[in-house]
Amino acid sequence: MNNRWMAQRLAIAALVAAVAARAEDARRIVEEAQKRAQSASQRYEGTLQVIGAENRIATKRWVFERLGSFGQSKALLRFTAPPEVKGVALLIVNHPDRASDQWMWRPAIGREQRIALQDRSTRFFGTDFSFEDLEERDVNQFDYKLLPDEGGQWKIESRPRKPSQYTYSYLWIDKSNYTITRAEMYNKAGLARVIDYRDFEQVRGIWTARTTEVLDVKRKSRTILKFDKLEYDVPLKEDLFTVEALRRES
Amino acid sequence: MILLRLISWPYARKHLSRILLTTAGIMLGVGVFVAMHTANQSVLAAFRSTIDRIAGRTQLQISAGEPGFDEEVLERVQNVAEVRAAAPVIEAAVSTDRGNLLILGVDMLGDRNLRNYDLEGADESIDDPLVFLAQPDSLMVTKTFAAERNLTINSRIPLRTMEGERVFVVRGIMKPGGLASAFGGNIAIMDIYAAQKVFGRGRKFDRIDVALREGVTLAEGIAKLRAALGPGFQIEPPSSRGEEFEATSRIYELGSDITSVFALFIGMFIIYNTFATAVTQRRAEIGILRALGATRGQIGALFLGESAITGLAGTLAGLVFGALTARAMTGYIGGLLEEVYGVAQSAASIEVAPWIAGAAIVMGLATSLTAGLIPARAAAMVDPVKALQKGSYLSPGEGENRTRRKWAMACAALSILALMLNRYTPVFYAGYLLAVMAAVLLAPSLSLRVSKWLRPVWKRIRPVEGALAADSLIQSPRRSSGTVAALMLSLALVISLGGLARSSYRSISEWMRIALNPDLFVTTAESATARSFVFPASLAGGLRKIEGVAEVQPMRSVRVMVKNAPVMLVAADIESLARRARLPAVAGDAERMYRRAAAGEGVILSENYARLHGVRYGEMIEIAAPEGILRLPVVGVVRDFSDQQGSILLSREMFSRYWHDDAANVFRIYLKPGASGAAVRQRILAAYGAQRRLFVLTNSDLRSYVIRVTDQWFGLTYIQIAVAVLVAVLGIVNALTVSILDRRREIGVLRAAGGMRRQIRQTVWMEALGIGAIGLVLGLSLGAAQLYYTLEIARRDLIGIDIGYAYPFPVALALVPAILGAAFLAALAPGESAVRGSLVEALEYE
Repeated sequence: MNNRWMAQRLAIAALVAAVAARAEDARRIVEEAQKRAQSASQRYEGTLQVIGAENRIATKRWVFERLGSFGQSKALLRFTAPPEVKGVALLIVNHPDRASDQWMWRPAIGREQRIALQDRSTRFFGTDFSFEDLEERDVNQFDYKLLPDEGGQWKIESRPRKPSQYTYSYLWIDKSNYTITRAEMYNKAGLARVIDYRDFEQVRGIWTARTTEVLDVKRKSRTILKFDKLEYDVPLKEDLFTVEALRRES
Repeated sequence: MILLRLISWPYARKHLSRILLTTAGIMLGVGVFVAMHTANQSVLAAFRSTIDRIAGRTQLQISAGEPGFDEEVLERVQNVAEVRAAAPVIEAAVSTDRGNLLILGVDMLGDRNLRNYDLEGADESIDDPLVFLAQPDSLMVTKTFAAERNLTINSRIPLRTMEGERVFVVRGIMKPGGLASAFGGNIAIMDIYAAQKVFGRGRKFDRIDVALREGVTLAEGIAKLRAALGPGFQIEPPSSRGEEFEATSRIYELGSDITSVFALFIGMFIIYNTFATAVTQRRAEIGILRALGATRGQIGALFLGESAITGLAGTLAGLVFGALTARAMTGYIGGLLEEVYGVAQSAASIEVAPWIAGAAIVMGLATSLTAGLIPARAAAMVDPVKALQKGSYLSPGEGENRTRRKWAMACAALSILALMLNRYTPVFYAGYLLAVMAAVLLAPSLSLRVSKWLRPVWKRIRPVEGALAADSLIQSPRRSSGTVAALMLSLALVISLGGLARSSYRSISEWMRIALNPDLFVTTAESATARSFVFPASLAGGLRKIEGVAEVQPMRSVRVMVKNAPVMLVAADIESLARRARLPAVAGDAERMYRRAAAGEGVILSENYARLHGVRYGEMIEIAAPEGILRLPVVGVVRDFSDQQGSILLSREMFSRYWHDDAANVFRIYLKPGASGAAVRQRILAAYGAQRRLFVLTNSDLRSYVIRVTDQWFGLTYIQIAVAVLVAVLGIVNALTVSILDRRREIGVLRAAGGMRRQIRQTVWMEALGIGAIGLVLGLSLGAAQLYYTLEIARRDLIGIDIGYAYPFPVALALVPAILGAAFLAALAPGESAVRGSLVEALEYE
């Protein structure tokens, strides 16, 4: 009886250890991916194409600048075209321990607007990204589980520890270069968004996707974001990433 | 049932026109009741549906009256754990070429958590959400609105904003249904931050719409939000938005109910008159029935049954008439909602609610049964032997008159007693009823008395015809007393309503003379009461510099809730008001009252607010404000007509401190001696007209506006007067028709004895004029008492203002030819019927 009880306990302990190991493996993989993508700053010019359910295409351009990395970064996204939207900006201040702060700047009315936490699940200006998708969250804000490999890639389940519109996500990470190639985000209703990262190339030693495509499963619309003039570790001033700077630079 | 079929039905068929006339009073009474309540209910239902559509999934709304509150409140609300979504809203009505348009300023990012905007096109997005947000001229309109004006995406609409006329661009068209069907599609969506700029709201929101997390009850949500925000905010479900409208419409309902009751009362007398005469006419028939074994109970039941059927027919006709009239009245009632939302509410469907139909049937039947009770009893008491003899039984016995007089005196004595104790509302209303009862009971005796006075006058005018007509009235008072009573009540109602209007206009004119004495008024809209737009306080300084301007009084009027009731809060420079437009104090000392209010040591209440809400001079009043609860004593009460719900006057400094708002709706401008109003007006328009939304009204413009609003208020009163006159005329037609039928034999004898047709016609006409004259004497007299009660009801329960007694002599004078003319016209057909009938048949009539 004792032996049997002992065997059961050992089996459970082994299972827990195996799960923990896999979770630890998953975390380690994501950490490594995060580490490899790390840079002091980033700048690119993006072209955004929203392809609606009726295949109507709306194109916009923006300039993106980021200072810092993963959980401690600050980012500024400023639209440059078409003329009607030029100057509209979004400032994101990421935090390691909580959701980011976001402000939108609208030059035509000359004022900023704080994006409330409750509104982060809404679409980012008619694209298929949500405001939350624009956040850079630190690895420590999620719990991970390694799932069986798919197509030679790691498949990892990630569950947010902080409030989020998503209940869990699946990430596919290339074993060769630790780049995230695909993300599927699920909410209470099921699969909500699919993000595919394509056209990878190395920029200053960092494997970078030149094209990101997001699919809104419910609306059946797609947004394609292409990165041009991508630079890492460019000199950017800290005071550029403040609400005051939003007003000043408009 | 058999008796009804065998006896009553043939009689009814023979006297169809008379039956129709008899039912008319009930029809009108029931019709007015059904129309007013149905219109009210339909508009209210449509309004509630509009509130629901605008509210979407909103469970609670946070507001602080019309001034709104600072933006930072939103973050405090969003931080409450029980809140799932919170979205700020600004509401403003703007005038377009085809009526007003309600613009809803919403946060386009978060608002979809609460509201659905189903848009045209397969893509559910606005044409381009980023462009919509980036451009402050973006507007989303409904498909109905767009179709009416041939608008498509990117069409331009000019609107008058605080910065003058601006062109807006349609960047989204909402599909019909849901939010888009509110106010018949006259609703548009704008980004809230653009709306702040367009409507001059600074960094303020009108309200915040809130949805709670799953499992959180409304009570829990309210408690948590109150704890987070403090006591200065109203936190309630969207449905309570209808309360302001209900408070306004309640006044109309009460007014129309009084008319209904009067019309039914008059209808009761018409039925009584018809049946009382029918009993006399049919006494032979009753005698035969009794001789054949019919019991008294069966005879009584037969007449009561006839009365009930007549009442039911009148009620059903009234239901149809009311339902048809309700459609016309909804436009009028819906217009009242402009006060709440700035946009009139139309009712999509008009249905008579089961409770209204049920109440109408009960009222109609109760009236007809009550009216039929005395004639039925008289029929049951008919002695079969005497009934089969021929002769006159028309005159009521002196004993019957004496009993009536005794009852009348008792009623009168009790009503006087009730007057002495009239501070108790039920006692007051009982006294009113008793006074009317006394008048009704005295009507036959008074009618007889006036008929006797009339006889020599009538005889002098036409010796034969006049004497015959007067004798007919004297000898058969039962035939005409019901009509006289009905006419008396109708005319009393007309006098009281006319008096109410006259007294109101007189008091309003006096108020305007004192309170509205500035030379010019600078407003944000053509309508002086519109509050969608505001001016910055700094404009006052600019206006003061304009040549010819002696003094500028900035004033801010905002609707707030005090003790769960809407009231107009007026923030003004009280020291300047006291100097320039000092209203006399109804309670308190005027000098001290203005001094203390100017120092922020108290508030001045309007008489109607104080009375309707039972607030007395010296009491503390608590007003919830974003800064907290403002507690101030009532330092005085003035007679003020500026708002139907009442007003509270406080200093601008206090308002600014508690509402964080120093804007103004109106600048009252006094000119320097000798300055030309037209020239100063031009200078103001030249200085500011192009930069901002601004209107300059002259004193006479504003007074005309107030009179127009008052006319609109009394619009329903004029309808009530028309109904009262109509019922009175119907009563006369009925009485004469009955009289002619009743006197066919007498007329036949007259014609056989050589009476000329002209003479008979003139006899009928003079009898009609006699009824009219008696009705006028009694009605105009009772009207004096009725006016007292009406003014008292208005003071207590309707408008809360003691508007003073003024007998409407012009109305009374106008009624004399109107009623005599109507009586004459009403006599034409019966007069012709009297001379056209077969002489042989007439002599065989009995």
